Amino acid sequence: MKDIFANLYNKVVSFFHQTDEKTSNTKDAACNRLKLVLMQDRTNLTPAIMDRMRRELIELLSKYMELDRELLDLNFEHEDDQMALMLSIPVIRAKNEDEINEILAKEDEERKKIEELSKSDDEEETDEETEDTEEETSESETEESEDTEDDNTDESESEEEDNSEDETESDEEDLEEEDDDDDDDEVDEEIDNDPTKTKKEKKKEKFFKKKKESEESSEQ
Amino acid sequence: MAGRVIVITSGKGGVGKTTTSANIGTALAKLGNKVVLIDTDIGLRNLDLLLGLENRIVYTIVDVVEERCKLKQALVKDKKNPNLALLAAAQTRDKSSVTAEQLKDICEELKKKNDFILVDCPAGIEQGFQNAVAGASEAIVVTTPEMSAVRDADRIIGLLEAKEEIESYKLLLNRVRPKLIEQNDMMSVEDVTEILSTDLIGVIPEDTGIITSTNKGEPIVNDETALAGKAYRNVAHRIMGEDIPLLDLNQKESIIDKIKNFFTKGKV
Repeated sequence: MKDIFANLYNKVVSFFHQTDEKTSNTKDAACNRLKLVLMQDRTNLTPAIMDRMRRELIELLSKYMELDRELLDLNFEHEDDQMALMLSIPVIRAKNEDEINEILAKEDEERKKIEELSKSDDEEETDEETEDTEEETSESETEESEDTEDDNTDESESEEEDNSEDETESDEEDLEEEDDDDDDDEVDEEIDNDPTKTKKEKKKEKFFKKKKESEESSEQ
Repeated sequence: MAGRVIVITSGKGGVGKTTTSANIGTALAKLGNKVVLIDTDIGLRNLDLLLGLENRIVYTIVDVVEERCKLKQALVKDKKNPNLALLAAAQTRDKSSVTAEQLKDICEELKKKNDFILVDCPAGIEQGFQNAVAGASEAIVVTTPEMSAVRDADRIIGLLEAKEEIESYKLLLNRVRPKLIEQNDMMSVEDVTEILSTDLIGVIPEDTGIITSTNKGEPIVNDETALAGKAYRNVAHRIMGEDIPLLDLNQKESIIDKIKNFFTKGKV
């Protein structure tokens, strides 16, 4: 008898439970999770990097308008070979000119401060670096007799890179106003680089595939 | 005659690659095409079981490659349909026993005398997959409306896209459960096609008949009443270029069917 009642009770409970569950559909959860994970799979962006990108985007955009950070939706959509980054954030309120200018002015000030700090650091560092390179060259000269030619060319290349970096740094010191433009260019470059990345990867994959195939055929 | 070589692949295991191969192959043969099914899942062969041919296999694909027999000798004719033949995988060997180049040669040879060569691909994206794809110019990607299967299908589609020899690929959505979709507890057909942005070749409903038909060693397309059988027959028509609308999976059982099922279920 007990069993029968327990069964009946369970059935009644589960009946009400079912109606409850209908309101929460697991399909949407599956779709959203899947879209996110596929975005990561397709782009090689780890969750941590995605999170950082999201944060930086919010930070950047909220300088110019007030946004609902909770409802930010970042997605990749792809049609054929092209991939597009879709970003949608509800705008709570447009900021007025004064507010925007205030924020920008503040930011410029902070940037200047940081630059001044880093400049003083850089000056010390650059001195050290030049010393380092001098040491390296002397080292490489001594090693020349032992090392192969390839190694030497590598080292000279790295030295060239060091020098060019030094040059750009000194440029930055001279012209502060142009510095800002440089930064913008850098951001542009970063954005430009992103879509090409995937294309490059595709090319890489194809290249390796062909390589593999040729290796296989040569084995036979 | 220059036949079409179609690889049936999925990435994830257990989504119904072999069932799909057996059923589409049988359906195409029933429509009068000469069909060869190749099982490339060396070491884990099962296509022979689904076709009920497990006791007739003498030579396998490895025997062909290692020249212990001619290709023709290794083709096992289907019990019912003389248009259908199976080239079985070896059970006691591994995926490295056959190379991509060798499989390509076999496909080229079979193309000459057959309308369709269906290659049943093993799960995974390793050498077994690479081999199976090597000889094919078309692909059917089998997936189910589950997250893991869709994710793996996306990976496979990426790999297929990078292959120049694959001219086209289509999606086959298997094990669809209309009731769960209605309850919003399963991704719909539209959800999956949108996420994978790939054209459909067919939608197959979940059907307990698949289990019983496997038990009997007879593909479900031979069962005229089964919904999954009908869905697979439609896929075969679409492969042949006919424009057939997707099955309405929400078909409600008629009262007569209900009574019929009541009695037949009692027997089983």
